[in-house]
Amino acid sequence: MRISELWRTTTFRLTILYGLVFALGAMALLGMIYVQSAVYLTRRVDGILNNEADALMRSPPQAMSGRIAEALALSGDRISVFALFSANGQWIAGNLGALPPALRANGPPVEIAPTHSFPAHARLIARRLPSGEELVVGRDVNQLREIRAIISAALLWSGISIILVGLACGTALSIGPLRRLRVLQAAGQDIAAGNLKRRMPTSARRDELDMFAGTVNYMMGEVERLMSEVKASTETIAHDLRTPLTRARAQLHRIQQSPDYQPDDIARVVGEIDEVLERFRALLRISELEARERQAGFKPTDLAKIISQVVELYEPLAEAGGVRLSAAPAPGIIVDADPKLLFEAVSNLVDNAIKFSGEGGVVEVGLGGDRTRPEIVVRDNGPGISEGERTAVLQRFYRSERNRLIPGSGLGLSVVAAIVKLHRFELALHEANPGLRVVIKCRGSDLTY
Amino acid sequence: MARILVIEDDAETSAEIAACLSASGYQPKQVFDGQQGLEAALAEPFDAITLDRMLPGRDGLQVVKALRDAGSEAPVLMVSALSDVDDRVSGLRAGGDDYLVKPFAPTELIARLEALLRRHSRSGKAEILLQVRDLELDLVKHEARRGGRRIELLPMEFKLLEFMMRNAGQPLSRRMIFEAVWEYYFDPGTNLIDVHVGKLRRKIDTPGLTPLFKTERGLGYMLHAD
Repeated sequence: MRISELWRTTTFRLTILYGLVFALGAMALLGMIYVQSAVYLTRRVDGILNNEADALMRSPPQAMSGRIAEALALSGDRISVFALFSANGQWIAGNLGALPPALRANGPPVEIAPTHSFPAHARLIARRLPSGEELVVGRDVNQLREIRAIISAALLWSGISIILVGLACGTALSIGPLRRLRVLQAAGQDIAAGNLKRRMPTSARRDELDMFAGTVNYMMGEVERLMSEVKASTETIAHDLRTPLTRARAQLHRIQQSPDYQPDDIARVVGEIDEVLERFRALLRISELEARERQAGFKPTDLAKIISQVVELYEPLAEAGGVRLSAAPAPGIIVDADPKLLFEAVSNLVDNAIKFSGEGGVVEVGLGGDRTRPEIVVRDNGPGISEGERTAVLQRFYRSERNRLIPGSGLGLSVVAAIVKLHRFELALHEANPGLRVVIKCRGSDLTY
Repeated sequence: MARILVIEDDAETSAEIAACLSASGYQPKQVFDGQQGLEAALAEPFDAITLDRMLPGRDGLQVVKALRDAGSEAPVLMVSALSDVDDRVSGLRAGGDDYLVKPFAPTELIARLEALLRRHSRSGKAEILLQVRDLELDLVKHEARRGGRRIELLPMEFKLLEFMMRNAGQPLSRRMIFEAVWEYYFDPGTNLIDVHVGKLRRKIDTPGLTPLFKTERGLGYMLHAD
């Protein structure tokens, strides 16, 4: 696992970010402690120095050297600095060999490095005496410096250790998800290579990776289903077209073999080919319907109007076939639909119903359901469709057995199913004892007219 | 002799169309791609053009658009494997005059071309009375008379008769009738139009009168002109 790869994981970046924020917080805290304690201790030293200087200033000038020796004897010449210098900087008394150049009389305190005369770090202040001589008072500040050093070191090490621990945690936390991603990636590549049965592995954790894998798996399920549907319809089409083509070929072959053919023989072949073309036309129509943009040409459509137009169109056909066609639609039921397509769907149903009920049949077209779910119902008293076949006939490109003897593409119901699907309506077939009852369950328009 | 430009990339189909046109007394010129088709259409005058929708070079929609932009008014029959209403609308909107879906019978193509040629030669005339021999259709009063005797017609029958009389002497396919009279573009099946025309025919051609209706085998119907 490369560092760059690790760096790209969200877990790692987050851990590092948190680590940095924590380190900054810790440093700020230690920094505060450092500033507070160092400043406090320094102020205390400065206060003591000022007090001592003030006390010495009060003694008479001629007794100054003696007082300095006294003070040194009292507090020890390893801890305190007391010294007196002449106006031109010459040493007069005390445990400091020379006046430090940075030290100004009555100026701010100065810290100096260890010297020969005072072998420790010292903090000094200087006072100008009325005689013009300069008094220097100081103190050993090694302890103060040590405390500063300890706090600085704590600051540095805690910063380093927090960053190191953060890096370690980030790496450890990222490796797990990264490994799972690797597995998901492998599964994805396997699927892309054509293994549509493969699914993304999921754990029981239900975390975001599992959610993602779940979505992908659902998608793959849909893809697999669609692929098998396409495969099934391709097989259906191939089978459906091969039959008339094989017949046409056989007939042509016979004509080729026999020297005296009849014009009727050729007409039969033309008929077979026409049937193939007819089916192709219906197949293309179904594909067109499926590819159509939903809602494209949709408008409020009066169902009663559609029904009466269809009945008007088919009335003469029914009459010629000895079928009684009747309609009893209630007006004023409006749905959002493409009126031309809905007309085509109902036409197909009525056409089928007339064809299958035959001489003496009765076909009724009506409206059912309620205003929110109105239904277009086409009922005939023909032979109906067997229960086993009822779901199959709604499938894409399915050609019912009962169509074998009736002219036409035999794909009318598939066309209806495609139109119904486009509208997000529902199509249902019921036994009408005797006959078939086809129901298109629509959705009522939200608009009122 | 009317000259027809056939723009079609499939050599077999093109030859078939050309043969049919020749047999019907037209003078066809075959062109096999969009660019050549456009050049040919602009180079010499044609009475009508059949134009395949999907062509190499330039597709049919672009060709008809370019033709119209160049000012050509020759009637164009678009031929396409796409049958959806949207495709039809885009074909007509681009400047096509009629739209024929593949596969088609050659007779259907001829019938549609002839309708286009006739419409083109008499366009712009607003009529109030149509007359074919002794059959009269009053478009204002909505009345039909044959030899002075009034014939009762349903609204759809009136529309059907009007369409047939406007195209008298011209063979009309079932599909042309369905599209023009009912304004639907799906395949109605053969019987449906037959029964409608049959009903109308029985009202017009009553026994004893000279028949005006003629069945065109494998295509549809025609109303005899003068």
